[in-house]
Amino acid sequence: MKMGMVIDLEKCIGCRSCMVACKQHNSQPPETWWNRVFTPGSHRHLTPPAKGVEFFLPVHCQHCENAPCEKVCPVGATFKAADGAVLIDYERCIGCRYCMSACPYGVRQFNWEDPATAHLRSEYQDHYRYGYPEEHRHDGRLVYAPQRPKGIVEKCTFCAQYRDKGELPACVRACPGKARTVGDLDDPASEVSRMIVAGNAFTLLPEKGTKPTVFYLPPKAKEV
Amino acid sequence: MSTTMKTSLGLSGVMFLIAVAAWIYQLKEGLILTNMQNSYSWGLYISGLAFFVGNAAGGLVLTSSIYLFGVKKLKPLAKIGALTAFANVTAAMLIVLPDIGRPLRLYNLLLHPNFMSPLVWDVIVLNLYAVASAVYLYILMLPELTGRLDWLAIKVDDPRAFSDRWARRIAPVALLFAIGIHVVTAWIFSTQGARDWWFSPVMAPDFVAVAIAVGTTVVLVAAALAYGTGEAYQEAYRTLGLIIFIATGIHLFLMANDLAIHAWYGNAETQRILAIAWGRYGLAHAFEVAAPLFGAWLLMRPQVLGSLPRLLLSAGLLVAGVFVHRFLIMPAAYTNIPMTLTPLGLPDSHWSLPIASGRLLPGMSTFIDQYAYFPSLVEMVILLGIMAYMVLVVLLAVIKLPILHKERI
Repeated sequence: MKMGMVIDLEKCIGCRSCMVACKQHNSQPPETWWNRVFTPGSHRHLTPPAKGVEFFLPVHCQHCENAPCEKVCPVGATFKAADGAVLIDYERCIGCRYCMSACPYGVRQFNWEDPATAHLRSEYQDHYRYGYPEEHRHDGRLVYAPQRPKGIVEKCTFCAQYRDKGELPACVRACPGKARTVGDLDDPASEVSRMIVAGNAFTLLPEKGTKPTVFYLPPKAKEV
Repeated sequence: MSTTMKTSLGLSGVMFLIAVAAWIYQLKEGLILTNMQNSYSWGLYISGLAFFVGNAAGGLVLTSSIYLFGVKKLKPLAKIGALTAFANVTAAMLIVLPDIGRPLRLYNLLLHPNFMSPLVWDVIVLNLYAVASAVYLYILMLPELTGRLDWLAIKVDDPRAFSDRWARRIAPVALLFAIGIHVVTAWIFSTQGARDWWFSPVMAPDFVAVAIAVGTTVVLVAAALAYGTGEAYQEAYRTLGLIIFIATGIHLFLMANDLAIHAWYGNAETQRILAIAWGRYGLAHAFEVAAPLFGAWLLMRPQVLGSLPRLLLSAGLLVAGVFVHRFLIMPAAYTNIPMTLTPLGLPDSHWSLPIASGRLLPGMSTFIDQYAYFPSLVEMVILLGIMAYMVLVVLLAVIKLPILHKERI
């Protein structure tokens, strides 16, 4: 089993529902976003950079097979689950941020201060907390906690807390256009494998040799 | 003890204590007290690591000169070389601590080391070099560990012969670790395919060249302060000056070679990098080239080597240039976002995907596609404190231990 995701850019309407669902479900602290959707070429989202050119690009952890973040982690806090998802052990991370530097996709986020202080600083409502309320362990390692420890790195887990219960990641469930599909890349008959072959799938920054398990299907040209 | 010595001790001690207090404050509040954010994840502290690692090369230069190339006139400076090496390599390890988000978890380096990580190699080689420098210094001091220091000395029949024999044996091992700290520290950066500014095979040899230049300068300064600039030492100083100038020249050649190749090919990514390195930081770049070159040239001149103030000024110029060089490791790697692409349908566009900053930055969007970093007061205070620690270690050792030769050569 090798977990993979296909994002069909033709179906992405740039609504950022996946961003919000990801942020909420994973109880991300203020100013922290594991998943981001932008309009390539434009400085303003949902604004075409040129007439007739407009598509949207969701980017989160690419769960690379040759993951630089995993290789550089001095204490093995970043590790690969059996299905290939790249996870972080919140109890082992020493916060050196080497992984953030090594990741070409810029998906890793650091807890620069205690999230509770960050909530105050960003003027969140008192005691307002959101997200999956329980800690989650994968193979005995803490890969999700609603209250983040200060000074550690976090990122997309493909929603380990849901997948371990047989449910889909929050971004997949939240997408109104059903642009996201997850499945087994090892199985040539799986939906994701067939989409990759049939849809001319590409990966981000292939020249970096990271071998992402997140694939994108190119959008068709938009009508003017 | 002279007044200058007392003042230096007091000042560096106070600066070190202030830095410790700043670090405790930072431990409590988090790295929010620095000016780093998610897209600029390393700053002054890691530049400081590279700086101190370079300064530690003095031991390397002197041991190899004396025992491999037979430059006997440098022998009186061997202990100063080992001492400055020890002080700087421990400073290099100390300056990493404030950069760690959870320093109390550092025991994980022992429990779960990932041997694929260049950072683990660096921890190993820095520790080995610190131990090797300390042992080497001890062996060199052994014949003079008498009187009130007698309890420190291991009992051997002929301390002088023993010291000479073992110094000769340890030298090649220490040399290996010494080269190792520069190469491995460079690899921490140059293995990162995500950052085109660093992803270059020239970084490791360049780190060695810079280190030989600045490490030797540190020894020269320490020696001039301890022994003065009298005629007896001029021959040794001239040798050091020559080593410094050659190493600086090699460093500048390696750096220019790397930049020239990239600039010539001129792809979009490189243009972006050079717009930072030569554009926004153009003045700093001019300084990192001119200051070491001019400083090294001055340090070859007899008029400079014969006058303490001139020698200190010239050495200061070189060290300041190298410090700026170390600071400039970061901007061209981090100012821009690494994730760039040419959007479909826009072949002329080179676009960066913004990153969430991870912290509230007043007046700025949460999503950042460019960030100009300048260290915060806390970062500067801690770095200055570690510099003070390095000076403190050298001064205390000179006072308490037989580092300096009693008789002039």
